[in-house]
Amino acid sequence: MSETLLIDRRWIARGAERASTARFLLWLAPWVFLLLLGIYAAGLCLYYGLNQTNMDNRFAFGMWIFADLAIIAMGAGAFFTGFLVYILKQEDLKPVLNSAVVVGLTCYSGAVAVLMVDVGQPLRAWFTFWYPNTHSMLTEVTFCISCYLLVLVLEYIPVLLRNRQLHKIPSFLVFEHQFHKLVPVLAGVGAFLSFFHQGSLGGLYGVLRGRPFAYRQGFAIWPSTFFLFVLSAVAVGPSFLMLVTAAAEKVTGRRLVQPSVFRKLGFISGVLLAVYVAAKAIDTYVWLNITSPAVGFGPWDFYSYKPFSSGLLFAAIVPLGLLPALLLIMPFTARKRGWLLCGAALACGGVLLNRFVLTVQTLALPTLSFDEFLQYTPSWQEVATFGGVIAYGVIVYSLSYRYLPLFESSKGADKNVSLD
Amino acid sequence: MFPWIDGFHWTATHIIFLSLFFSAVLVILSTVVSAIWHVFSDFRAHRAAEMCWHGNFEELPEGERRCRHQLAGRVASRTCDNAFDCRSCVNYPRFASLPANAPTKSVAVKYSDKLLYHRGHTWVRPEWDGTYSVGLDEFATHLIGRPDSVKLPSPCDDIEGEGIAWRMTKNGHEIRVRSPLSGTVISTGGPDSGWYLKILPYGPPNLRHLLSGPEVPGWLAAETDRLQLQISAPRAGPCLADGGTLMPDLMDAEPKADWDTVLASTFLDS
Repeated sequence: MSETLLIDRRWIARGAERASTARFLLWLAPWVFLLLLGIYAAGLCLYYGLNQTNMDNRFAFGMWIFADLAIIAMGAGAFFTGFLVYILKQEDLKPVLNSAVVVGLTCYSGAVAVLMVDVGQPLRAWFTFWYPNTHSMLTEVTFCISCYLLVLVLEYIPVLLRNRQLHKIPSFLVFEHQFHKLVPVLAGVGAFLSFFHQGSLGGLYGVLRGRPFAYRQGFAIWPSTFFLFVLSAVAVGPSFLMLVTAAAEKVTGRRLVQPSVFRKLGFISGVLLAVYVAAKAIDTYVWLNITSPAVGFGPWDFYSYKPFSSGLLFAAIVPLGLLPALLLIMPFTARKRGWLLCGAALACGGVLLNRFVLTVQTLALPTLSFDEFLQYTPSWQEVATFGGVIAYGVIVYSLSYRYLPLFESSKGADKNVSLD
Repeated sequence: MFPWIDGFHWTATHIIFLSLFFSAVLVILSTVVSAIWHVFSDFRAHRAAEMCWHGNFEELPEGERRCRHQLAGRVASRTCDNAFDCRSCVNYPRFASLPANAPTKSVAVKYSDKLLYHRGHTWVRPEWDGTYSVGLDEFATHLIGRPDSVKLPSPCDDIEGEGIAWRMTKNGHEIRVRSPLSGTVISTGGPDSGWYLKILPYGPPNLRHLLSGPEVPGWLAAETDRLQLQISAPRAGPCLADGGTLMPDLMDAEPKADWDTVLASTFLDS
């Protein structure tokens, strides 16, 4: 493309075809507007306090916590792909590794940003580290997410330094080379940290004895939700990565990864989802028949309030659990891109529903005889802040796609020498 | 967090939790420190230029990494996997002994059998005093014409093979020319001198990585084809001229071409 249309050509990798600068800016414009609106809404919340939201003392977890849980589950693709490539040596997933890092970074940094608005008092954020309450799952979540965000930033640096202009600076290039050698260490630490914070996010609900809808028995100090959250996150991470890649392919009009990479991601996601669905089904059976009756709640007491009917439970396990697992695993459907993406979308939908139910339904249901069923609708500030995070993710991913090598094909030298 | 902070308890939970946390932080920090330490070591040991070149080489499209033996017609197809460093290529003797079959069509620029050529479009000429003159070949000279500015190293500066020897600008584009050999700069010339640098190598140089003989016309023919495709109009189909010579001052003659890409390909830059 001629340089008049691509005025930022020097920053784009040689040989990479990208949209004209004007078209790219046009694509970014609505997202920048959404981001600015989100920043304004977050500013209102930080300045005036949580009276800008529709949460209250009883409905203390709302849209933001649901968004946090959902985004962090989706971002699990980063640590899991790193774990598969660097620890389990699944080299054929390397082409999506950089993309997974960017997805993970945007997900986690977005989630932390929303959490900071939700918690408020950012000037006292360091208290959680300085005076940790080691009996709280939230402390573990805070520590692990902060550390893992640092890991993701560090994993992003080598990708960033491969920008065409930054690559010309010798010290950056050598640092990228040396740091790249150590990334497997970070991948291992990332897997460790992610395992615990994904689990602790689930454990957070499982230990709520005063909320029978969420309370679960488990193993040692960890309730069953700890393990279910880990399983669901690693199951849905590759699916979300597939959806993001497919969306990038749709927007750019280019084939970015080989179909075999999609199939492998789909198969891994499907197998893990099947294990999750089985574990979830057993957990639900134990909860409905043993855990819940032991605290005085009948199996269907939780599902007598609309709109939270038993259909939600069925949907989370069958059409958004078992069905996508089959679509992703069965060779007949996994061979077809449409079915594969459909399975991935349903899998993500299932985890979104699970996080929504655990966050919102848990708080909406009455637990004491004088309690009432609560309803909550997020305020525009909450919606705009969430929208801002989505916009932030799209902007960072778009800029990364344009200026960094997100999808690498293994270039290996041609060793087939012909003497003809 | 620490024993002297209010709220710290000498309990197993506290100690295990904080130990795990501090271990993770220590591993993360030591990773960063280790990387920075290795960077300093690489610069001190003069490995940095070579590492940069290897990094750039991996970024080159496969079409620009063709082996010299393919260019000479000794093998039908081979991609270099050794960063154009034939000095350490274990396959070099095997392929070099094969008969050359360089392209017979005329090459668009002049070249000399007395010069050794680097893939980054510089030439090397041994001088009587043990130094080596380095200049831009005719392909690069025709492309750039007269540069707007030239930034040469100072005499007594050390330069590394494949590192950046000198920089030029033309029509707002920065051109980084790679050094074909390592050594100390003895004197500097410029566009009017016909040569740019005189280099005294650190020891008896091994120049096996430089092109010579039938490899040169094959390489220049491939470079001319590449150039034609890169500067052709975006909507024009792929077509190549058979014959003719490369016109001088091409950057001035075709200002709307994608010179950023052309210059990067020509000078093996990223």
